[in-house]
Amino acid sequence: MNPRNDQLRHKNRRLAWILGGFALLVLITSFPFWQNIFKVLGEAVR
Amino acid sequence: MSYTNALHDEAHHHDNPTGWRRWLFSTNHKDIGTLYLLFALTMLFMGGASAMLIRAELFQPGIQLLDPDLYNNLVTNHALLMIFGAVMPAAAGLANWMIPLMIGAPDMALPRMNNLSFWILPAAGTMLILSFVVPFFPGGGSQINTGWTLYPPLSVQVGMSMDFLIFAIHLLGISSVLASINIIVTLLNMRAPGMTLMQMPIFCWTWLVTAFLLILVVPVLAGGVTMLLFDRHFGTSFFDAAGGGDPVLFQHLFWFFGHPEVYVLLLPSIGVLSHIIPTFARKPLFGYKSMVGAMIAVGTIGMVVWAHHQYTIGMSLGAVSYFMIGTIIISIPVGLMIFNFIATMWRGAMTFETPMLFAVAIILMFTFGGLSGVMLAVVPADMQYHDSMFVVAHFHYVLMPGAVFGLFAGVFYWLPKWTGHMYDERLGKIFFWINVTGFNLTFFPQHFLGLAGMPRRIIDYNVMFTEFNAISSVGAMIFGFSHLLLLYIIIKTIRGGEPATNRVWEGAKGLEWEVASPPPFHTWETPPLIRQEQTS
Ligand code: HEM
Ligand SMILES: [Cu+2]
Repeated sequence: MNPRNDQLRHKNRRLAWILGGFALLVLITSFPFWQNIFKVLGEAVR
Repeated sequence: MSYTNALHDEAHHHDNPTGWRRWLFSTNHKDIGTLYLLFALTMLFMGGASAMLIRAELFQPGIQLLDPDLYNNLVTNHALLMIFGAVMPAAAGLANWMIPLMIGAPDMALPRMNNLSFWILPAAGTMLILSFVVPFFPGGGSQINTGWTLYPPLSVQVGMSMDFLIFAIHLLGISSVLASINIIVTLLNMRAPGMTLMQMPIFCWTWLVTAFLLILVVPVLAGGVTMLLFDRHFGTSFFDAAGGGDPVLFQHLFWFFGHPEVYVLLLPSIGVLSHIIPTFARKPLFGYKSMVGAMIAVGTIGMVVWAHHQYTIGMSLGAVSYFMIGTIIISIPVGLMIFNFIATMWRGAMTFETPMLFAVAIILMFTFGGLSGVMLAVVPADMQYHDSMFVVAHFHYVLMPGAVFGLFAGVFYWLPKWTGHMYDERLGKIFFWINVTGFNLTFFPQHFLGLAGMPRRIIDYNVMFTEFNAISSVGAMIFGFSHLLLLYIIIKTIRGGEPATNRVWEGAKGLEWEVASPPPFHTWETPPLIRQEQTS
């Protein structure tokens, strides 16, 4: 059953988004992912 | 901290669909918990089948049943099915069932996301199985012969089945991150008014730490395999030395995930034991606060010791020393949990129903596995043991008791609550003895094999290893088939049996035992009143 209290639901969703954003941050920051994609793109353009 | 005037308009009508809709569209934590547990049981049998094929092949030296790539694919599949298919979903199933009951919440905080986290799993499981099946078809490419660690460059060379596997890992990762978010939000926002964090049952604490670990490390694994995918298809060279990359980078990413992952597997079962041991010793858990502290310490230190899996890659002396000392330090909080369990039993009025039998056996065997872990943590020694059967013996002695048996114990402990029927205690005890004997027969000899130099993940071996391998394989058959008895006990309990009381066990304490057995579809719609002595 869904928590029916709007305030609580709002609070839950906000915390979930914060945690989700955090997980996303871990995903994109912890390794040289973008750096290397840019390198590959750069070479492809050249 | 908790809500004050929530959840009073009970006149609101509930939508209780029946038939397949009940399960597919479920937002009910109990139904989703059941789904998780059934999924895990299915995967346990598939992973078990692959393990028994491996042991059948290793019964004698020489190559009898399988070819080398198929053998290695089975090794890969076995690990992935067990870790991602069986243990993690089973632990999530227990979390779904028990956390709302334990903290007096009507459901998980985000019920629809809960539905999504579960229903991603069958899709992921299908992809995982396809990665195994595809090479059998013409044009299906080669088998995944890398082991679950998926090290490049081999994993870049494998055929298209690796792409299926990478996609499966992405899906599994999404599922566990969503489930973790849900659990954290539930534990932080949905506790019954008056229940502070330090009054939460320990099972909830173990899952809070586990969920944070998952959020911190699973995205890194996802990133690692994504880079693998790019190296395979899009011309990058993250892990290719010829293109300026570094294959060791993958190892770091993998083990940054992989080591915390072993605590993800361990901690929920430690949580289960923290309930079973007080119940059957009829004493409160010894050292609640130190337990919470220990698991936070394990989680934190566990994040920074990953390279003990890579001692042989040629790190600097400073780096190996750091990783060695860090690894050895973790045994302190781990040991503390064990001592707390022993102190809880000390002078307790103990009885030995099946969950407690498992609990005592777990303490003995897990400690043994922890000790071989400390041997492996010592760099010069590990130079000898690394990639040998000794490592296989180590991690089965920590994982089987530390994760799988803990989950079995939890299933026996809570099955009467879930189904409303007592399981057959005599059969439960028979299962325990066959299971634990089979386990030790299988894995104890592997210590000797490893020390004598038998490598892991190789289909054939020198004749000097014959005897111990034969014993191990016989044990594996006993162990494997014993799970049919578990299945029988579970089915029998679901279908009937002596009715269970609400409290089920004489010594059981906590909110989950206040509701009926089986609990009604909706529980704690009105949050319970927390009296101070009611917790932990
Ligand atoms: C006292 C604590 C522990 C210590 C000091 C320890 C140490 C180690 C070391 C050094 C290795 C690497 C061996 C090698 O590859 O050469 C290892 C492997 C492993 N350990 Fe532990 N360990 C401990 C507890 C645990 C626990 C609690 C679990 C899981 C519940 C676990 C699961 C594993 C697994 C799965 C591997 C093998 C991974 C693989 O290569 O496939 N360990 N351990
Ligand atoms: Cu480790």
